[in-house]
Amino acid sequence: MRALPGYPTRALALTVLVVTAGTVFGRGQSPTAVRAGVAAPAHAKVVDLIPASLSGEINQDSEPFLAVQVANPQVMVASAFTPNPISGTGNAPVYVSEDAGNTWVLNAITPVQRMTCDITHAMSIGENHPRGDLHAGTLACAASITLDESESDDVSSSAVMRVQSSRTNVDQPFVRALAFSNVDHIYIGLNDLGQSSGRTATVDVSLDGGASYKSYSIESRKTMGQDGPSVRPAVAPDNTVYAAFFGWRKFNGSMATSDVVVVRDDTGATGSHPFQALKDPSDKLPGRLVVKRVSIPWSNAPTLGQERIGSTLSIAVDPNNSSTVYVGWADRGSKGDIYTLHVRRSTDRGLTWSKSDLPHTTISNATNIALAVANNGTAGFLFQQLSGGRWVTHVVQSRDAFATIQDTIHATVPADRPLGQFLPYLGDYDYLLAVGNEFRGVFCANNTPDRANFPQGVTYQRAADFNTRTLTDGSGNPVAISIDPFYFSIPVMP
Amino acid sequence: MNLTCTIQPGKRGCMGTSRFFLRGILLLGLLASGASLLARAASPQATNNQAALVRQSSITFVGTVSQVAASALAAVPKSPQTIVVRVDSVLKKPAAVSLKKGDTITVEVKDPAAFPEGMQATFYTEGWIFGSGVAVKELGHSAPPSGGAAETAEKPVEQAPSGISDQDLQRLLATCDYVVIGRVTDVHPWTVPKSASPRYRTSEHSANWQEAVLQVQSVLKGPKVKKNKNKVVVRFPLSRDVAWVSAPKFEPGQQGIFILQKDVSGTSVGGYKADVYTCLKPGDWLPMTEEPRVRLLLKNR
Repeated sequence: MRALPGYPTRALALTVLVVTAGTVFGRGQSPTAVRAGVAAPAHAKVVDLIPASLSGEINQDSEPFLAVQVANPQVMVASAFTPNPISGTGNAPVYVSEDAGNTWVLNAITPVQRMTCDITHAMSIGENHPRGDLHAGTLACAASITLDESESDDVSSSAVMRVQSSRTNVDQPFVRALAFSNVDHIYIGLNDLGQSSGRTATVDVSLDGGASYKSYSIESRKTMGQDGPSVRPAVAPDNTVYAAFFGWRKFNGSMATSDVVVVRDDTGATGSHPFQALKDPSDKLPGRLVVKRVSIPWSNAPTLGQERIGSTLSIAVDPNNSSTVYVGWADRGSKGDIYTLHVRRSTDRGLTWSKSDLPHTTISNATNIALAVANNGTAGFLFQQLSGGRWVTHVVQSRDAFATIQDTIHATVPADRPLGQFLPYLGDYDYLLAVGNEFRGVFCANNTPDRANFPQGVTYQRAADFNTRTLTDGSGNPVAISIDPFYFSIPVMP
Repeated sequence: MNLTCTIQPGKRGCMGTSRFFLRGILLLGLLASGASLLARAASPQATNNQAALVRQSSITFVGTVSQVAASALAAVPKSPQTIVVRVDSVLKKPAAVSLKKGDTITVEVKDPAAFPEGMQATFYTEGWIFGSGVAVKELGHSAPPSGGAAETAEKPVEQAPSGISDQDLQRLLATCDYVVIGRVTDVHPWTVPKSASPRYRTSEHSANWQEAVLQVQSVLKGPKVKKNKNKVVVRFPLSRDVAWVSAPKFEPGQQGIFILQKDVSGTSVGGYKADVYTCLKPGDWLPMTEEPRVRLLLKNR
């Protein structure tokens, strides 16, 4: 067992950044984008989450997520499609760090047996638990798909999370939480496929720390029978809550014709008819149409490399100015691109949006978009791009709506290895958060211990030999490469 | 079966035999190294308890208590219930878990008074927290092998089975509606009827349902079939999504043991109304080599 220190090659990282920026933004974009790239910041950190005592594992630990304890940001919880390491009937685990992400342990506390098939979570401080409260939305996949909305007061204890609400036929729960007056307000975006109206984009709201939830459909228009899977809330400290979703208007099995819709509530969804503050001028219905009738490919098979595509979406609000909100999504690109990312911005509480993509945010052949806004207004943009046969994980930062950017590559790994065990290969999402003067996040990647794959350096907890580029089981026996979840942090641009 | 088949270096069980026999051998082997060395007067009841411990335990090792009321893992706060044990020999563990002779392991024990410093024991445990080291919870313990650490150090590690355990299989058998031996004669996509379509909307977890027509050869649990109506339909997901990747997938000609749940709907096969079942969990289909184990577990339930 050995933990290798970070790889302090800032000069190399800078070179890689500039060169790669040329590759990334050279695809159909202005060469000025290359000049806009600046050096990677010091003190970026990347950590493979697999603990040393599980060095023999070869699972596809894809689809990561991250929660940070706001009052004590040393405490974090991460998750992935990681099965219980010892039992088919034990509880599915989460990763817990109590030292700001330097080390992680696996603790089997979710209410789901063996492994979740979707999990997101958030930690809030309304109830003043130093290692909680973790609020999670998990899907258990057995005979039916069951959503559990659950809570832990102490993520380091062995107590299984308390299930507070449960129902079936739900997809992609996405949890955000914030404390108001010592009570956790929890907002879980989800696709409620049980909605008979077909208006399935839904936010489950709890205003009492999860003791009770109310479900609100946020789709006000006719759909093709349902909305797209991703429903993403964003909460600002002033009680403004936004949510973005794909309003599916047509669907033929391989292509959705979709609006990208943003709703807003100005009082934390405490009213009787929440999420109706923002109306579209075209039909006066709640929900601003950021873009109309874009074509979004739907493929539940390896399509972008070994990854499937169909629903990547993110929304982020400025914590100190809730009028500024960013939304990003992917749709069918032009000129042969498979899947293209876009980011737009509103500075008037979602009433109007940038008419075209913000500079440097039209990214071809990419997925897993995650946006966040730091306290100083810096926007962060995490994505994974298939480029030159590799999955390249970027974090782009900007203080001026991406006119000028700082692009940092955290990983560039072969896309053809390992062979996928299931879908999603890397995940249907990853995650980015702003915490004080840092952006923190998680992504998944090929875990070959090769320094060249991690330009910012990397720390492995699991046994790895970077000289021979091999993993071992802790006793010297070789272990096959697989997909691992990686935590990262990076200073916010000043 | 006899104790001469105890696992020894270079003789990793009776690999040519069925897993059923291997499990029995392993169980008895562990008993030889642990249980039979328990209290000298091991009663049949004690032996049964020991056998149950061996089955339940996911991590079994011989170790020496090095600290009481202590923890070797930062994520596990020390308490009167936690002790630190130096591993002398690992008898059983999952392949993914790194644990070897000389490691320290934190054990949450049931009765701290039973573990003075320096005491050696065989620990039967379940995994708890995995970090830079391992923390486990004691299920039970027994006296150490009579030869002490020097003897146990030579024991080979038995990996916990990657397939379905007896416990998990027992649970599947107890909760299922039907257990049959049969052969798949046809596989075709299932067209979801309109009345059921709200249950099957589009998501990344869509199952891509298929129907396998199963010719029942014998029934191990559940209603008998008539000779001329011996076909049932088994629905299964073909999707490679994370939700369904571990579910059994079927092809024409496939034979085995099918552990099935009754579906609410029926369907028509060969002109008669056939029952419909689902087969969704890992272990819901087993190869014929598992027949003795399934029959034994059904008999003993």
